[in-house]
Order: sequence, then structure tokens, then C-alpha cells
Amino acid sequence: MIKQFLLCLAVAIAPMVAAAHSKSEATTPADGATVTEVSELSMRFDDPMRIISVTLTATDDDIEIERETGMEPTTEFRAVPLEELAPGSYRFDWRGMASDGHPMQGSFSFTVAE
Amino acid sequence: MTGLAPIDGLAALAIVAKAVGYGAALLAMGGVLFSFVFAKRAEASVLRLARQLAVGAALVGLAVLAGRFGIRAARISGMGFEGATDPMMLGFVWESPLGTAAIWRGFGELAILTVVVPRIGQWIALVGSLAVAISFAQVGHALGDPRLVLAVLIVLHLLTAALWVGALLPLRRAALTPSGVDVLHHFGNVAAFGVAALILAGTALAWLLSGSLTALFGTAYGVGLLLKVAIVAVLLGFAAFNKVRLVPAMRAEKPGATHALRRSISVEMLAVVLILLATATITSVTTPPVSL
Repeated sequence: MIKQFLLCLAVAIAPMVAAAHSKSEATTPADGATVTEVSELSMRFDDPMRIISVTLTATDDDIEIERETGMEPTTEFRAVPLEELAPGSYRFDWRGMASDGHPMQGSFSFTVAE
Repeated sequence: MTGLAPIDGLAALAIVAKAVGYGAALLAMGGVLFSFVFAKRAEASVLRLARQLAVGAALVGLAVLAGRFGIRAARISGMGFEGATDPMMLGFVWESPLGTAAIWRGFGELAILTVVVPRIGQWIALVGSLAVAISFAQVGHALGDPRLVLAVLIVLHLLTAALWVGALLPLRRAALTPSGVDVLHHFGNVAAFGVAALILAGTALAWLLSGSLTALFGTAYGVGLLLKVAIVAVLLGFAAFNKVRLVPAMRAEKPGATHALRRSISVEMLAVVLILLATATITSVTTPPVSL
């Protein structure tokens, strides 16, 4: 009886279940975009994300970037490249932890054109 | 496949550690539950085995818990294994829900160690088992809404699974004792209700986290879950065969029945290992459809 009640309750409120961690984020530059200059790198999350490590890689080497956002959980992460990005392909990788404790990682790529 | 995170070496290690942690928690809780449910029916040697199993599993569980902190720290750090001992990364893990769950699980597994103390120790261990079950409601997608319903369902799912998993080795031993048939028969009756609760709770959880039946076929979470359910179905088949055929055959003292039952229980144990690995994989690298 209790079990049946629980099941009914569970089924009835199923649509109310919310996301437990952040979904795919909007980025600047957008993933796959071709841009002429990159003044900042940013990502938005719909739920606070603790971004722990970030790397920006050109075709063959790492580009130095400076974080404007610290390690606290955030819905908007920003960083700036320390040098002007030469034309070429770039890939931004990040790792971190969602608010529910899940380790998370992601990346986006873009191309800088002349 | 949607909702599947990349699986690198550290993620694979995290999955194995989690599966071992699941197994330890279930055996620790289940050993305690078995010694309660069968206190009057089983032989002293069988009850002793159940308690020893609970203590051994609780110790393994505590060690794995510590190890998983390091693995989680390494995974979030992006530094590889060096991150496992980084104080800042460990601090982040401690602040996360894994820290809260670790307090519940650590307290529970320590309390289960008292199962070897007569009377009061047994009750402390029972409270410990409940704490271990509650620890699973403190992490991951169990934290979504409706939180209380998810928590009750997961605790029920864990306790009933523990009753079954923790009983396998003691039952395998009991089959060799004079009172074995009675214990096995009684377990069959208790398990029939337990398994019903286990499946109801599991189905309700899957429904809450999937949102729809179609989500089961197009997502990594769904495919993993279907695989788990398939193994559970095989396990149920063996359990039903034991209850309906082998235990009555033992009662009728048919030759070879005891041997067949013990072998069948061994196969059940193998199925449990596969189920735990499947569960650890689902909960580590896939995202429930409702969160996609």
C-alpha cells in the first residue's frame, strides 16, 4: 500500500523533476565560429559550475590566458588571452565540478581569421 | 549517443572504485540485516559469517571512500594523479555533496563495525545501515526535485538490494547446515516482498530520472539502464528457479540439489558484480535524460 502510494506520488510529480547540474553552455567565441579577434573567452552555465582548470591550445602549443573568474562556483566564466591570437585554429578545454559534485569537463573550438 | 561523458583512465578508475564502494555498502548493510531477520532461524555459524561479512565489507567501504576522494580530486583538477593529494582540490570535493555523503557513509560503516558486539551493538549497526542507505540520497541526481521522494525511493531501493546481496554468502553457507532448508525457504518468502519493493523503487527512480520511455532508447543513460535491467532479469530468473525448484528439491532431499543451489547462488553473485559495475558506469559518466 505504502509502495503503491509512493509510486503514484512519484509518477504524479515526475514533470517537476529539475536538472541536477548545468546544461551545455553558451560560449564566446561560439563553438565552431570564425572570428577576426578574440578579446575575451567566456562560458555561461545555467547552474553554478566550479571551473578548476582551463587551457587554450593553438595547433601546436598552449596559449597563456588569464582568468578573470576565480575558482568559486559561477554561472559565467571569463578569461582573457595574454597575447593577441594569431590566425589559426584554437581549442579551449575546461574541467570542473557541478554543484551536485559531479566532475565535469568540456571544450569549444574556434578559428581566428585575418 | 547523447549524455555520455568522455571516459579516460581516471574516469574508469572512478567507476571501478564506485562499484567496489557499492558492493561494500550493500554487503555491510545486508550482513547486518541478515543477522536481524534470521537471528532465530539460522545456525550460529551462519549468523557469524553474516556479521563477519558486514565488518569486512564496512572496512573495505571506509578504505574505498577515502580512495574515491582522491580520485574525484584528481578528476576535477585536470592535473592527473597529482591532483589526488592537492589540498585545494580535496577541499572542493569535501565541500561538495560527496563530502556530506561521506559523513553519512563513514559514520554508518563505522557503526556497522559494532555488529560483533552482542545486543546493543546490533542495534547500533542497524542504525548504521540506515545511515549508509541515506548517504546515497546525498549525492548526484538524488538531489534533484522532488528531493524527499527521490530520497525515500533510493533508501528503500538500497535497503532491499542490501538484504538480497548481503544474504547470498550466508545462504550459500546455510545450505550446508541442518536448518538450511528452513532458512532458504524463509528467505524466499522475505525476498519475494523485498524484490517487489526493490523493483518498484527502482522503476519509480528510473521514471523520475528519465522522464519518458523514449528517452531510454536514445540516451547513454537509457541504454545503460536497460543493460542493468537485463542483468537484473537474469538474476531474478535464477532467484525464482532457486525458490520454486531447488529449495523444494533440497527439502525432498533429492541428490545434488544442495550442490546445484550453491552453484546457482554463485552465479547470482556474479550477476550482482555486473549489476554494480553497470550502475557505477551509469551514475558516473551518463546524464539522466531529465537533466539533458
